[in-house]
Amino acid sequence: MKVLHRIRRVFKLHRIFIKQDLKKLMEYKIDFLTGALALFITQGINIFFLTIIFSYIPDLEGWTFDQILFIYGFALLPKAIDHLFTDNLWSIGYFTVSKGDFDKYLTRPVSTLFAVTVEKFQIDALGELVVGILLLATSLPKVNFNLSFINVLLFIISVLFATFIYTGIKLITASVAFWTKRSGNVIHMFYMVNDFAKYPTTIYNRTVRAIITYIVPFAFTAFFPASYFIVGGNPWYNIGGTVVMSALLMTVGIIIWNKGVTAYESAGS
Amino acid sequence: MIYVENLKKEFKKAIKEPGLKGSLKSFIKPKNEIITAVDDISFHVSKGEILGFIGPNGAGKSTVIKMLTGILTPTSGRCEINGKIPYKNRKSYVKEIGVVFGQRTQLWWDLALRETYTVLKEIYEVDDESYKKRMAFLNEVLELDSFITSPVRTLSLGQRMRADIAASLLHSPKVLFLDEPTIGLDVVVKDNIRKAVKAINAEENTTVILTTHDLQDVENLCDRIVMIDKGNKVFDGEISMLKTKYGQSREMKFVPEDLDAFNNLDYLGEFNLKDSDIEVENDGHTVSVRFNSDAVSVEKILNYTLSKTHVKDINVKDADIEEIIKGIYRSEVKLDA
Repeated sequence: MKVLHRIRRVFKLHRIFIKQDLKKLMEYKIDFLTGALALFITQGINIFFLTIIFSYIPDLEGWTFDQILFIYGFALLPKAIDHLFTDNLWSIGYFTVSKGDFDKYLTRPVSTLFAVTVEKFQIDALGELVVGILLLATSLPKVNFNLSFINVLLFIISVLFATFIYTGIKLITASVAFWTKRSGNVIHMFYMVNDFAKYPTTIYNRTVRAIITYIVPFAFTAFFPASYFIVGGNPWYNIGGTVVMSALLMTVGIIIWNKGVTAYESAGS
Repeated sequence: MIYVENLKKEFKKAIKEPGLKGSLKSFIKPKNEIITAVDDISFHVSKGEILGFIGPNGAGKSTVIKMLTGILTPTSGRCEINGKIPYKNRKSYVKEIGVVFGQRTQLWWDLALRETYTVLKEIYEVDDESYKKRMAFLNEVLELDSFITSPVRTLSLGQRMRADIAASLLHSPKVLFLDEPTIGLDVVVKDNIRKAVKAINAEENTTVILTTHDLQDVENLCDRIVMIDKGNKVFDGEISMLKTKYGQSREMKFVPEDLDAFNNLDYLGEFNLKDSDIEVENDGHTVSVRFNSDAVSVEKILNYTLSKTHVKDINVKDADIEEIIKGIYRSEVKLDA
């Protein structure tokens, strides 16, 4: 009962803020269109270059163009979902802590992490989401994806947990700000590693592969789960790995965040 | 209700040397110094009391408030409010308090004010009926009606402060913390806010802790004041006590007919006074005599002056709380703690 009540409350608060962000969208149409268009175009250009490359070579380390598009499209889903819901973590790293604005989250009887993330719904991320879905839809008939019930279920699970890999990495790096006052660039540095993860990791050398598999495990947000669906593999590793990495990062992230909150020093006023 | 014992807060601050070279040096080998913002503060507040918490800029007022509201974790010492320790049971603790920081709003910048209250209603789990009643009450004391549909960012400072205070009271807190609630406001709005605080205190017996630089706030609202300076408590008691204890300073102003006669007066010699007991200031039109009424009485000064000179006008000023506090801030008035 209590849990149910809590979930209802979470949804209700999300709804209020999403509604408010949509309202803002109506108010600042140009701003939204530019934002979403920019993300759309960035992805578009990447895909355009992929097309050019593949018009000269038939396959890349054994991967066909459509397989690459599938992995690329898959990669965009967790990225976009995380972007939609937890974008406010960036501002923790850039200014909320250093300006002392974190105070307000501490005077509310909800978890600080929830209070921070619920406040912003980043609609621009819909641009990424749309590109991701389009890529998956167009490449799906040409890759060997078996649309069985279990596969669809595994697909949903892996997107969900992959999203929390993004969130976890942002959470850990944003928390650094509680000690250093600013960590925006730290978040940026780690977050950008996700660019490697959109392509088959087999095309990289061992160092890069080790980094994106074990240190900043973005490979588990795209290549490992996505390749399982189109070329097969060990589900315990490819999808189980995503679940484990995701749980690990979120746990570590929440612990560091909570430690950070007690170290928070506010700012003079 | 509120117990604060030996509360202390230290901050680590990096020492930065000037220039690029200095920056590089402190980057490679950072040096820290410890700054004690709050040294050793103890006091207690009973239920329903309005406590004025005052002190000069940088005295540590806000740091104390931030520890009491669960924002900062104390370095040592303890505070207990409603039987709870703020930084330990934060979530359940903040349900029972309201916090307003005059310097920055706690409301959501882009939300319409009405929606802000809906969000707070959800966060604090206020049921529909209490919410309705509460909004009606707050509307009455803070007059929110005229701007309740506007987004917070479009509100004037006075409206915003009223909105912030209403937001802090929505869940009927037992304790209300107001950190400079009248900063930057015009006299009418200030008066409104004081009335609202009084009404809430009277209606619900809400305990209020208020920091301010406006001594009108203190005289109007507070039963008691705690004064701190450099992280230490320097005074704790009723305002009247401050006056009787430290209000010996009097000021007398004369408008003389003949300025030269005044220059011949010798208060120091006549009453055998020390230099620190009396101060005479002559601006060519008015002569101000400030003196310690413990060392020499008003009557004596008046008699002596009138027996030697002729004056057109006399003005005697009573001990003014502002003067006393100014004296304490400048550490002219010695306090026996």
